[in-house]
Amino acid sequence: MSPAALNWSPSAAPAAPGRVPGNKGIWVGICCEFVEFLVLFVVYFVARAHYPEAFREGAERLGSGFGLAITAVMVTSSYCLARSVASVRAGALRASRGWLLAALLVALGYPLTKLLEIHWNLAHGIDSGGGIFAATYYYLTINHMVHAGWGILGMLWVALRHLTGGYTAAEHDGLEALASYWHATDIIWLTIFPFFYVLV
Amino acid sequence: MTGPVQRLATTSRTLSLAWLALMALTGASAALGEWLEPGAAVQVLVAAILWAKGSLVARRFLESAAMHPFLRRVLAGFIAFSPAVIVLGALFPDALLRLATL
Repeated sequence: MSPAALNWSPSAAPAAPGRVPGNKGIWVGICCEFVEFLVLFVVYFVARAHYPEAFREGAERLGSGFGLAITAVMVTSSYCLARSVASVRAGALRASRGWLLAALLVALGYPLTKLLEIHWNLAHGIDSGGGIFAATYYYLTINHMVHAGWGILGMLWVALRHLTGGYTAAEHDGLEALASYWHATDIIWLTIFPFFYVLV
Repeated sequence: MTGPVQRLATTSRTLSLAWLALMALTGASAALGEWLEPGAAVQVLVAAILWAKGSLVARRFLESAAMHPFLRRVLAGFIAFSPAVIVLGALFPDALLRLATL
């Protein structure tokens, strides 16, 4: 274990007052992402308030298993990234790389599940021309998948850097910035999930 | 066991418990929607679970307690927004409809 790892203190590093995890740039992006989705959430609530029956019927037609699967994928890949960050802070670089690759592997399940869901939807007549519910559902969920896609690309880049010795216990801002983005994207999905798969 | 290794084990245990709680809350939320009759009570419960899950990710995975106060408030506000509107819609649907009308 490196000297930096032995000097590591979990209460000192993460608990420093006024800490910005990763870097300021990623948090500008995360704040913009939050604003964008807040606007979309307002659109959802306005549409739902005016057309409650369309949303009740629409939610009953969706395959809730797909929503559950995507939630499991998001939460689990988020967990793997948190373990990767905790490991790199402790100087356990090999474990950190392993958790990062696990996060990437699990995250790839998202576009795969979404693809299967869209096939299932189209087979059951749920397409973008299916009224206010389908339009809101596709706009919000596909938009989220695009954001998750950026996160997956980020994971690929960070994995490449990590595997080539780019991060240490003392310097791992890039890994932490990616993890912050993915956790924020996870929080957004956790909000979208009940909108379409739970609230009927 | 050395200090950092022990601390890593503690952090790992905390993260694993958070993950288990998130999975359990997701299952509970889906079960509520699947098995219970739709109504205001179910919507309030779903909103509470949604807020709990978002807060768990923020506190355990993002370590929000140690964050800059501005970022902490942004996170807390974003996580609270949707559950608050769901509760408002469940308890006062007419008020929400008025708010949602130009």
